[in-house]
Amino acid sequence: MVKYSVKRLLQSLFTVVLVVTIVFVLLRMLPTDNYFTEEQLMKLTVEQKNEQLKAAGLLDPIPVQLFRFYGQLLRLDFGESRRIQTGVPVLKVIGAKFSISMRLGLIALAISLVVGIVLGVIQAQNKDKIPDHIGTVYTVFVNSVPSLVSYSLVLVFGAHVLGLPSLYSTRNAGQSSILPIVCLSLASIAHYALWTRRYMVDESTKDYIKLARVKGQSSSEIMRRHVLKNAFVPLAQYIPASVLLTIGGSLLVERFFSVPGMGPLMTDAITRYDTNVVQACVFIYAALGIVGVFLGDLLMMFLDPRIKLAGGGSSR
Amino acid sequence: MKKQDELFRIVEYSADAAERIGYSNYSYWRSVWQNFLKKKSAVFMGIVFIALVVFSFIALGIGKYQYADLQSNNDLMFTSPNSEYWFGTDSLGRDYWCQVWFAAQTSIKLALVVAIGECVLGVAIGCVWGYVRSMDRILTEIYNIINNVPTVIYMTLVALIVGQSFTIMATSMIAIGWLTMARNVRNLVMMYRDREYNLASRCLGTPVWRVLVKNIFPYLISVVILRLALSIPGTIALESTLSYLGLGLDIHTPSLGLLLRDSRAYFLKYPYLLVFPAAIVSLITVTFYLVGNAFSDAADPRNHV
Repeated sequence: MVKYSVKRLLQSLFTVVLVVTIVFVLLRMLPTDNYFTEEQLMKLTVEQKNEQLKAAGLLDPIPVQLFRFYGQLLRLDFGESRRIQTGVPVLKVIGAKFSISMRLGLIALAISLVVGIVLGVIQAQNKDKIPDHIGTVYTVFVNSVPSLVSYSLVLVFGAHVLGLPSLYSTRNAGQSSILPIVCLSLASIAHYALWTRRYMVDESTKDYIKLARVKGQSSSEIMRRHVLKNAFVPLAQYIPASVLLTIGGSLLVERFFSVPGMGPLMTDAITRYDTNVVQACVFIYAALGIVGVFLGDLLMMFLDPRIKLAGGGSSR
Repeated sequence: MKKQDELFRIVEYSADAAERIGYSNYSYWRSVWQNFLKKKSAVFMGIVFIALVVFSFIALGIGKYQYADLQSNNDLMFTSPNSEYWFGTDSLGRDYWCQVWFAAQTSIKLALVVAIGECVLGVAIGCVWGYVRSMDRILTEIYNIINNVPTVIYMTLVALIVGQSFTIMATSMIAIGWLTMARNVRNLVMMYRDREYNLASRCLGTPVWRVLVKNIFPYLISVVILRLALSIPGTIALESTLSYLGLGLDIHTPSLGLLLRDSRAYFLKYPYLLVFPAAIVSLITVTFYLVGNAFSDAADPRNHV
C-alpha cells in the first residue's frame, strides 16, 4: 500500500514536471515583442527592449532558462508578475484570488452534493415515474445545452424575476455571489443526480437487496442502509478532486459574472504574456488534478474495504 | 448402386424450401435500424434535427439580408423583431435573423468535422493503445499530460501561437478531443483482446488488423457512436465558451459564442438577443444527445433479437 502510493506519487511528479516543461517551452516560442504593451513598443528602442529582456533573463537559451526555472520551482519561488500586477510576487497575486474562487466553489459543491444526491435518490425510488422523468429532463438539458446558454438563462431569470445583481461585487459579496453559485452548481447537480440514480438502480437489482426484502426490511430502510451506501462509493472517488479544483475556479462563470477569481487569471496571463503567472497556474492545476485523483482512489479504498489499490496502472 | 438411387432422390430447387432452413437473414445494420425506429421520440428528434439543418439553408435564402452585405446602422440599433427584421437587430443595427442562422450552421459544421476527426483518430489510437502492450506506458503518459491541464489553456496557447480560424480551431479540438474516445476504446480493447476466440484466431494466424477489425471492433460500435453523438454538444459548448472568451473563431465568422458575447451587455434589456440563438442551439444539442443515446442502445448487439 505504502509502496504503491510512493511509486504512484513519483510517477505523478514526473507527469507534473513534463506538463510544466511543455508549457514553459511553448511560452518561450512566442515572439518576444509580446512581452511589452503597445505603448512600450512605440516608445522603446530595440536596445532598450533587449536590455529589459536581458534583465529578466528572457534572452538566454531555452535550456538555461529551463534549469533556472526548475531551481526556482524547487524553492517554490514563482517569480514576479510582469503584467497582471507589475512587480508583485506571483504567489501574492494568486493568494488574493484563490480564496474568492474557493469560497464560491466550495459552497456550490456542497449545494450540488446535497441537492444532486437527494435528486438522484428520489429518481431512483420513483424509477420510470413522473419525478424520474423530470429529473432526466433536467440532466439532459444541463448536459447537452452549452453552459454559456444556461448561464445566460440563469442570469436573465435571476436578474429580471428575482432582482439579483447581475455582476459580482466585493462590496455586496453575499447577494452578488448567488447567481455565480447557482451557475456553478447547475452542472454538478446534474452530474451527481445522474450517477446516484444510475448506481442506485444498478445496485437495487442485486441479490443481497432481494435478501433484505425477503427478510422483511422496509423499502426506505433498504434504500438508506444498503443501496445508497454502496452507490455512494463510486461517487466519492471524484469528491477530493472536485474539492481541490475549486481552488482553480471556473473560467466561464467568473468571466461571465466578473468575479475577480482564479478562473480568468490563467487566460488573462496567457493573452498578456505574463509567463511567470502562467507557469505558476499550470503547475497548480496539474498538481491539484493529480493529487485529487490520488486522494479519490484512497478515499474509495477506505470506504469500501473490498477495493485494493495494488493493481498495475492507475484505476482511471 | 441402384439401392442408393432409391434412398436419395434429388429434389428440385425451391426458393421457399431453402428459406425455411439455412442461414437466417440477420443483418447487423438492419437490426440496428429497426431497433432505432422503435424509439419514437428519438426518431422524431432526428427528423426535427434534419429539418432544422435544411431550414437553416432555407432561412438564409429567404432572409431579407445577406450575411456578407450586413452593415452597421446606428438608427436601427435594437429594433425588436418585426416584419422587416424577423429576429430584430443587434447592437450595431444589423439583421439578427441571418446572423443567428449563419452561427447555427457554423456550429453544426464545426461539431460534425470535429466529431468525425475525433472518432477516426480516437478509435485508431485507442486500438493501438489497448492492443499493443509496449505502447501502453507511452500513451498513458501522453494522456496524463494532455488531460491534466485544462483544455482552455491549450486552446489559448494555440490561438496565440498559430492564430484563429475555422481550420485551426477544428484541428486543435480534434488534437485534444481524441483522448476520451481513445480511452474508452482502449478499455474495451483490453477487455476483449485476450478472450479465447481471439487467442484461437491468433493461433490460426489471423493478422492483427483483422483481429481488431473483425473480432473486436463490432463490440466497440455502440460506445463509439455514443461518444460521437455526445461529442457534438460538447464541441458546440466548447466553441461557444472559447468564442465568448475571445479565443475561438475570428470575429468575421459569427458563431453562437460570439453572438452571446456581443449581446451579454444588452440581453437583460433586450431578451430577444438571447432567446433566438439559445433556443436554436439548445434544440440542436438536445437532439443530438437524445438521438445519440437511442442509436447507441440500438447499436448494441446485446439488445438485438
